[in-house]
Amino acid sequence: MSTNDDLPVAVLGAGIAGLVAALELQRNGYPVRVFEAAPVIAGLGGTHHDDDGFTYDMGAHFITNRLAAAIGVSGECRLVHRYGETVHLDGRYVDYPNGLLKQPRFVASALKARVSTPEGDPTTAAGRFRRDYGTALADTVALPLVEAWSGAPADELAASVADKIPTSIAHTMLLNALARATNRAISVGYCWAQPMTASVFHVYPEHGVATLCERIAEQLPGVIQVSSPVQAVIVHDGQVQAVRVHDEEIPVRAVVSTAPINVLPRLVEGSDRLDRYRRFRYRPMVLVNLKLRGRNLLSDVVVWLPTGFPFFRLTEATQSMPWLAPEDKTMVLCDIGAEVGDEHWTMDDDALGEYCVDHLEGIIPGVRERYLGCRVVRTPIAYPVYLAEYEEDRLALKESTGIDGLLSVGRHGEFSHNLMEDVYWTTIDRVHRWIADQKAGELLAIEAEERAAAVGDDEANPVVASGTRDMPRA
Amino acid sequence: MAGVAVDTGSGERLLLEHVGCPICGRTDGEPIGVGEDFEYRTAPDTFLAMRCRDCTVLYLDPRPAPDEMGRIYPDEYHAFDFTESEFGVIHKVRSRLEARRLLKCIGDVPPDARVIDVGCGDGFHLDLLRRYGRSTWSLEGVDLDPRAAAAARRRGLTVHEGTVEALGLPEAAYDVAFMIQTIEHVADPATVLRAVSRLLKPGGRLIVVTDNTGSPDFRVFRRRHWGGYHFPRHFSLFNDRSIRKLAGRTGLEVVGVETIVSPVNWVYSIRNLLDDYGAPEGLVSHFTLSSPAALSVFTVFDTAFTMAGKGALIRAELRRPA
Repeated sequence: MSTNDDLPVAVLGAGIAGLVAALELQRNGYPVRVFEAAPVIAGLGGTHHDDDGFTYDMGAHFITNRLAAAIGVSGECRLVHRYGETVHLDGRYVDYPNGLLKQPRFVASALKARVSTPEGDPTTAAGRFRRDYGTALADTVALPLVEAWSGAPADELAASVADKIPTSIAHTMLLNALARATNRAISVGYCWAQPMTASVFHVYPEHGVATLCERIAEQLPGVIQVSSPVQAVIVHDGQVQAVRVHDEEIPVRAVVSTAPINVLPRLVEGSDRLDRYRRFRYRPMVLVNLKLRGRNLLSDVVVWLPTGFPFFRLTEATQSMPWLAPEDKTMVLCDIGAEVGDEHWTMDDDALGEYCVDHLEGIIPGVRERYLGCRVVRTPIAYPVYLAEYEEDRLALKESTGIDGLLSVGRHGEFSHNLMEDVYWTTIDRVHRWIADQKAGELLAIEAEERAAAVGDDEANPVVASGTRDMPRA
Repeated sequence: MAGVAVDTGSGERLLLEHVGCPICGRTDGEPIGVGEDFEYRTAPDTFLAMRCRDCTVLYLDPRPAPDEMGRIYPDEYHAFDFTESEFGVIHKVRSRLEARRLLKCIGDVPPDARVIDVGCGDGFHLDLLRRYGRSTWSLEGVDLDPRAAAAARRRGLTVHEGTVEALGLPEAAYDVAFMIQTIEHVADPATVLRAVSRLLKPGGRLIVVTDNTGSPDFRVFRRRHWGGYHFPRHFSLFNDRSIRKLAGRTGLEVVGVETIVSPVNWVYSIRNLLDDYGAPEGLVSHFTLSSPAALSVFTVFDTAFTMAGKGALIRAELRRPA
């Protein structure tokens, strides 16, 4: 049976999910090889430091003390004292969620939605938000944001888009009050795989988010190959056999992929089971990070902009992590939902900076005088788009890819809105589901052998004849 | 259970290593508590108490690497020197209570019994056996830490310095062994229990006392401030089920498991909470080993829980098969 037991497990991608999977497999005695297409590790979890003393991470990351402790980087993290979100509506800031609840029109429509009895569960995001929040709040705030962020009409999005909103208003308010009392940014809604409690709060690595991947990679010496895109995953009879890298076929025991789920079918040779995932869409984004003079230019760390701006969200990370920019300077990240090749995607970097500054004047007075330059990142896979038309396939993916020995993990691989800590725990969970299957298989093989041995006829039984193979460790 | 170093150890950070469940080796534990070294502040790191999904044992993962022991057990560590001059009336009361417990455990042993206390610290319990037990007993201690061993020797006790696995003590020679609040500190509890088991005569008994994760104080404070975590010095923490499972794995018979009264984890949980949220030092200092009021109140409190089988400590009586 154990012909492929010594073969490595191939991990596609050296971002946080791939590295966590590789380390977990290694800890359990499985040889691993990590193939990273880029010349550096970390993927979306990378950090860039510029000559002016700014530290940029790719997008926004939420790291808790629990995640930092699990990875062993807590000693390099600093406490985040504050985190908050505001909605910018009709030219002014409204607190989220308390401020919204103070507006009579929203309360009235939310109450109306509560008392009316809807027939069945809504199947689209539009229906779900209108039912949960009432029409006024949904149509004014939630749906425009969801549409800007996903690039799809809310009545084509699955209702599950709304799944990850804080547990209950009471719980959220309690944790927020505790956060103020303890001067810690208690994590509310940034990890769903583990309990949300007052003892789990935001921290952030002193030198940027890349610290996490670096720490894990240190424990995988000789395992990670950069600049090595996997060209193909070779499948036979519904079972992974090998990967092709640099035109060489490498036999493997299993494959853990972190590739976007709509890319993976193009890599798989010998099975069409993943073809249904080709139609899955990710929302591309243009992320424009403006360097500005001054501090605390926004009302809160995150400001949501449902209408009236080309960007739907602004983030001033220095309000939470003051050490990421020189003392008298700050960064404001503008998230522009885009399509590959559209006018924002193709605009050159300096022009994008100017364009954002022009639009920010109404929110940050005097922004032009503060403007020092920008850094632009374009990503074709910022967010998975949960379209209602493929919701069923998305849910099936949570169970398995349908190919033996092929796991798809991480934010892109699971096609989920998971944040960093969720990626960590769900990846470990998936790897262990696979390990449990392997062990069950070994047990079955041993039992079969024992039964055969009990029959006592060596010649007639090929399993016993090959019985000198290494016994799996108990 | 070879660990993998996850830190270069530069600066103030601790060198950490990853480990799995101390009983079955599984590595996909459930994170239960996340906290810091509230008591001694020996490191800036945050620690995670994981619970094995099979064994229910709690374990620190990642945890300080062996090279860091000198740092996480600072010179002022209480187990090195719990003296009468330092702790006064508390020392007297605790001595009486502990002596009675010890003698009850030791029960019916021959006059020439050989007794060993593994993880004896400053020799507090051995000293009690010497004072209140039979003068014909032969008493020995083992402790890994030279500072603890020196403190015990100052009391005139016989102490072997090193680990019980490596010392080469005589096998099948001891009637009774104690591990009192030791098992939670050791890197590999199963190996230590096997080693202690070999020292025992067939039928000889091992008394293990450790913090109970099946207690109400654990339930209330487990997310962060529980005194029993003692971050980062308690590597494995047990309940009734997991201590039995560990014993089973190491070939020891379980004579009985019960819980016993201790105010310490209640008092330290409150201390840690106050300290964590920046309470004034004057208030925090009322919740330590040197605060008679808090200790008395919570002794009464925990007595009630112990009567319901949920005391703060667990005591397992194990036996090497005859």
